[in-house]
Parts: sequence; C-alpha cells; structure tokens
Amino acid sequence: MNYFVKGNPDLCIGCRTCMIGCVVAHEGKHIFEVDPDSYDFNPRLHVVRTVRLSVPVQCKHCENPACMAVCPVGAISQKDHCVIIDQDKCMGCKSCMDACPFGAINMTERKGHIQADETLKKTANKCDLCYGLPGGPACVRVCPTEALALITEEDLETAMERKRAETARNTFKENHPQE
Amino acid sequence: MSMGIPEIEDAGCLLCFGYNGADSHPIVARRIVRGRQKGMKIICADPRVTETARISDIHLQLKGGSNLALVNAMANVIWKEGLADTKFIEEHTKGFEEFLKVIEKYTPEYAEPITHIPAETIRKAARMYATTKPAMILYGMGVCQFTQAVDVVKGLANLALMTGNFGGPAMGIGPVRGQNNVQGACDMGALPNSYPGYQNVTDPEARAKFEKAWGVSLPSEIGCPITHVPHRILHEKDEKKRIHAYYIFGEDPAQSDPDLAEVREALDKCDFVVMQDIYMNKTGLYADVILPAAAWGENEGIYTCADRGFQRVRKLIEPEGDVKPDWQIIAEISTAMGYPMNYKNTEEIWNEMIDLCPSFKGATYEKIEKYGCVQWPCRDKSMEDKGTPYLHKDGIFGTKDHKALFYGTDWHPPVELENDQYPMTLSTVREVGHYSVRTMTGNCRTLRNLEDEPGWVQMNTGDCERMGLKKGELVKILSKRGYCITRCLPTDRVEPGATYMTYQWWVGACNELTTAKLDPISNTPEYKYCACRVEKIEDQEWAERHVMELYDDIRAQMGIDTGKGAKA
Repeated sequence: MNYFVKGNPDLCIGCRTCMIGCVVAHEGKHIFEVDPDSYDFNPRLHVVRTVRLSVPVQCKHCENPACMAVCPVGAISQKDHCVIIDQDKCMGCKSCMDACPFGAINMTERKGHIQADETLKKTANKCDLCYGLPGGPACVRVCPTEALALITEEDLETAMERKRAETARNTFKENHPQE
Repeated sequence: MSMGIPEIEDAGCLLCFGYNGADSHPIVARRIVRGRQKGMKIICADPRVTETARISDIHLQLKGGSNLALVNAMANVIWKEGLADTKFIEEHTKGFEEFLKVIEKYTPEYAEPITHIPAETIRKAARMYATTKPAMILYGMGVCQFTQAVDVVKGLANLALMTGNFGGPAMGIGPVRGQNNVQGACDMGALPNSYPGYQNVTDPEARAKFEKAWGVSLPSEIGCPITHVPHRILHEKDEKKRIHAYYIFGEDPAQSDPDLAEVREALDKCDFVVMQDIYMNKTGLYADVILPAAAWGENEGIYTCADRGFQRVRKLIEPEGDVKPDWQIIAEISTAMGYPMNYKNTEEIWNEMIDLCPSFKGATYEKIEKYGCVQWPCRDKSMEDKGTPYLHKDGIFGTKDHKALFYGTDWHPPVELENDQYPMTLSTVREVGHYSVRTMTGNCRTLRNLEDEPGWVQMNTGDCERMGLKKGELVKILSKRGYCITRCLPTDRVEPGATYMTYQWWVGACNELTTAKLDPISNTPEYKYCACRVEKIEDQEWAERHVMELYDDIRAQMGIDTGKGAKA
C-alpha cells in the first residue's frame, strides 16, 4: 500500500515551516546562500487556511492514481509505496493537474530548463514523500507542533482495529461482570 | 509574566487575550497546542479567528477597542454568580469594595453592544475561567497597543486575583512580550524611569547607590519616553527640553513607529542622528552616522525571556568586516565621551550589574550556564537558589504589606473612531515569517519566497466583494495621516469593517496610517485602532509597476544593488 503524509488541523498553527522544509529538502541547503532567483521555490505541499481550519494539503498517493492514468507520456509511476512524477519526462500537458481531485498537483517552472518559446519549462509538481532522501518526509521532521505524520499501512491497520473495536462497543453493549 | 512559559501547557484553563501566539511566538503557541492536547480549556478573546481562536472552547470575537468592557463584564459575572474566591480576596488583597463599585454596571447585557459579544457567551466564558483550576491568562499586543492599555492589564489581573489564580504553578497572568529580549531591555533599565533591576531613578537611595558605583552624578528626574521623541524634537517650546541628538540602536522608528510622516519629519529636523544596527534600514536613511553592529549569531551575552528567565547567548561565528558587538561600541563611545569603560567581556558587565540589583544578584554566569535558564528574582549566589519559576508564592505580593491591589476603571473607546470619510478600522498585527521590522527577516531570502513587498491587507470577504476586490489585487489604504499600497487578502477570519496589516513592509508600510496617540501610563501608541479607507486601483498594471519602482527606489537609497542577480 502507498504511504501518505497527513496533517492534523488541531495541531497546525499555519506557520508554513513545512513548505520551507519541503523546498530545502528538494533543493538543498545552498538556497540560503545563493540568489533567490537562482533556485526553484516549489513547495510540494500547501498550507490551507479556511475560517476555522489550518492544515497542509498534499498528495494522497492514491492506489489507483487518476494522475497516472491520464498521463500520456508515462511520466507518473508507483514505486516504494509512493506515486512519483518524473519531471524530465513530463510534457506539461496539465492532464494530471486536472485529474487530481485533491488539488495536490501544480505546474511549476524549472530553473535551467528552457522550453520552445524560450521561457522556463513548466512541469507537474507534487509531493514525492521525499523519495530517496534520508530521514523520510522533511515536512514531518520540521513541523514545530508535530502536526504532520507519515501514515503507513501498519498505521492504517492499527487505526482500523481501534475503530472496529469502537464500532463493536457502540453497536452492542459490552458486558462487564461485577467483580 | 507571573508564570514560567513551560507551565502554560499545564494550565486547566487558558484565557488568551489579544495574543496571537502562532504568528508572534510559534514556540509559545506550541505550548498552547500541547496544553490543548492535555485537555486544557481555552477561551480566546480576539477580533480575528486566530490559530488559538480556532482550537478554543469559546472564542470571544470582540469588537476592536472594547477590551475593558469585556474584562469588567467577566468580573461582574464572576462576582454576581458567586464564583469569586472570597477567602483569597480577604487574605491577600485590598481595594475589592471600590473595585466592585466600578464593575457594578458592567453586566453582560451592558457589555454586549460595546463588545459585539452575546451576553450569554460572556457569562459562559466567565464561568469557565472562574471554575477551571488552575486558570492562566496570557495577553499580548492586542491589550498593550491601545490608549487604554494599562487599565486592561490591571483588569486582567483583577480577574486572576478575584479567582485566587496567583501564587501557584500554571496560573497568574502573562504578558507575552512583543520582541525578543524586550524583557531584558527593561530588566537592564532601558526605560526612562528606572535603573537596572527596576530601581527607580526618583528613589534617592537607589540613585545614591548607582552614583557611588559609577562615580558620576545622575539626574533625579524621569527621562523622555521613546514615543515622546518626535514631539520633543518638533514642537518642544522649552529650549532646554528640546532634543537635538538621537542615538538609535536595534530599533527602526522610521518603520515601526506610528504616523511615519511625523517620524520622518522629526528625524529630518533632529540635528544629529546616530543609527547602530546590523543592516541598513529606513531610519538609517536619516542618520548622520551609522555604526555597524554585529548580529545575534556574532554576539554573546544574556537575554531575558518573557517569563523572566535569563539565558546565555553564545557566539556562533566571528563577526566579519568593520562590525563590532553592541557592548564594545557602547564602551568605545562612552570612553570617547569622557567616561572610560574598559570591560574585557560581557561577564564583567553582568557581574557589575547583578551586584547593584538585589533581585538579579544570584544569577551568575556560572549558574545560568549550569541550569540553562534562571528566572528572577534570584537573590543568592549559592547554587541552591535556582530562581523563581512563578511569582507571588502563597499569595505573598511585592507590595509593602504583601497584599495585591484591585484597580477598577471604566472602559473608554479608542481615540479615532470610524467616520464618513474613513469608514473602516485598521489594526497592525504580526505574521509568522517576519520578526518585528524587517531589518533581520527581510534580508532572509527564503522568507522572501513566501511573502514579499508590499505585503497584504486582511479584509472580510464580504467587504471585498462589495468593493469588487480580488485576492492579490493592489489597493490603496488611507487614513487622515497618510497612505500606502498593499495587496488585498480576502478572509472570513476577519470581521466586516476591519482591516489588518503587518508592519514590517517598506512599501506597504501601515504605520503611514497609524495614530501616535498614547496610553497615558505606558506611553505605548494605539497601533491597534485607527480609522481608514480602502480604495480600489483601476489600473493594476500601473500599480504593479509603481510598487516595483517604490521598492527599487528604497533599495537604491539604501545602497542595495537593485540589478538582476542582486545580492540583497
């Protein structure tokens, strides 16, 4: 099963440290020392603030990803519990962006990649669970209130077991013999 | 703060009043979130839906400028419903009878039209605060930056006193200070009325002690509050009182002070201005002399946290170029002016200071080093005196007879109310990425990726729809003192008729609009309330160009390379 990162709005304080952590993880620490126009600032998750909610939203790494199904060039693949976009293969058709029901994909410019009209190449961008980077998803590590968690198959199974037990208790009265 | 910051998460109930931790102190906000996870009840009094309001049990979304009406109404309910701690009041306080006379008329029904909070909600909040133990109050600039500020602080203290919420852990009242080490600045006597350790300049005994230690004669009168400086430069009739020279360090009044047009005029007219800072800022544009100072990572010394905790700060890197640590610059200036200061390091300065301040005396470098943090009062140098995590233990207060004093006052409205010409209100606020003025964080490139000039004005979505304003559109915002251009941010976290701006942007400088009216006791300006108007700009292309021109112009004046590939 694919993993995913989930934000908890009860803990989130809307500070966007996760977004910075995401960029640093994908661009490297040198971004603190170079010109801001010379690196890509493309966070792969976005903090959403509604009236009574603050929470980061990112890719759910679906089991049957709509984005993958619609990609005409096979730039999206599933590997190691993760849905990944190959930005070198991406042709920028925006089909995945359109197909994603969660708004988890956006089109971003890539520095140093020029397209036909001589502007910067725009490719699909989304959470890759920090694929290949040591320490797991950076957003989870940097959050000051521990509002983000990487959810694995085991976590889901534990949660389901708890919910099933709760359902049983709610449906049938549990018998507690008097001691 | 009467409590320690680590105690926040152990409170039974938190009344968070005019304090938005998530934007001003994320690390304190983390304590609030953690307290919530432990089951802490939260009452949040704030005109906006802040992050704390979002997770609160009761959000008192009060009308800006109605603080004291709400606080007095809560006191009224606590008394009328028999929820007060009469034993504590009797044993540890004075002035309760007179206080009752003041709050008598502040029924929730009386407060409802002033605060815009339903009477029943005020009752619920008062009951929750009075019946959940221990109860803690945290307040911020939403209390302090009004012309009625000190009265509200005392009003909040009244609530804590009448419910017996002083003298133990995780209770009391806490001002979560506006700036890093502002507590330290006050502790060290960077105030017009006190020497280090809150020893009054008008107290002959204290004055004699410092005169003897320093070998000088010291003035017996209270000095000039910082917010009076523009007036004392521009309008002071008494030649002896007029200010001719202004030495400013670690402060950017041309950005942070209210009514910037007046501040600029004052800096312009002032005969001699010295600016000492780590980067160029707006005040620097008016300076005759600029003294480049080392930044926090290049300095060592001691900061005081909002909860009275002394902490060591250490040098990470050696300062490069022609910069010096602040203490060395001060010592050299003083020496040049005829009072030699020959300190070898910050510890020497510290040791001189603590020996003159009884309540800091025990806080040696060695002790702070060992324990990480020592909260004053710490009176004994032995390692057994670890300082004071919370004040007023067992209800013993710092007054002569050890009793706390109730202090009741009537609410009055802010100075400049909405009118036909300026129908909306402006309150200045914080945003998490930027600290105070942008001298430090405005020079952090990654933060620029998240937010950049000219900043935002937060407005209610209904108001935006009515005015035909979309997110990101440039708008002109005006008060009778000035205007600036900024971007519109429609949000339902803000009530209709109100606008909010952060004060660090150079182009979207909201202090062009704010009023310099002060609280009579604290001399803090009413940053949280003035009348304003928002105007749509039809030609957005022009506006975008204009903002860029203004920004480039400021950068050029500061000598920052504005060409592509600028090193900021």
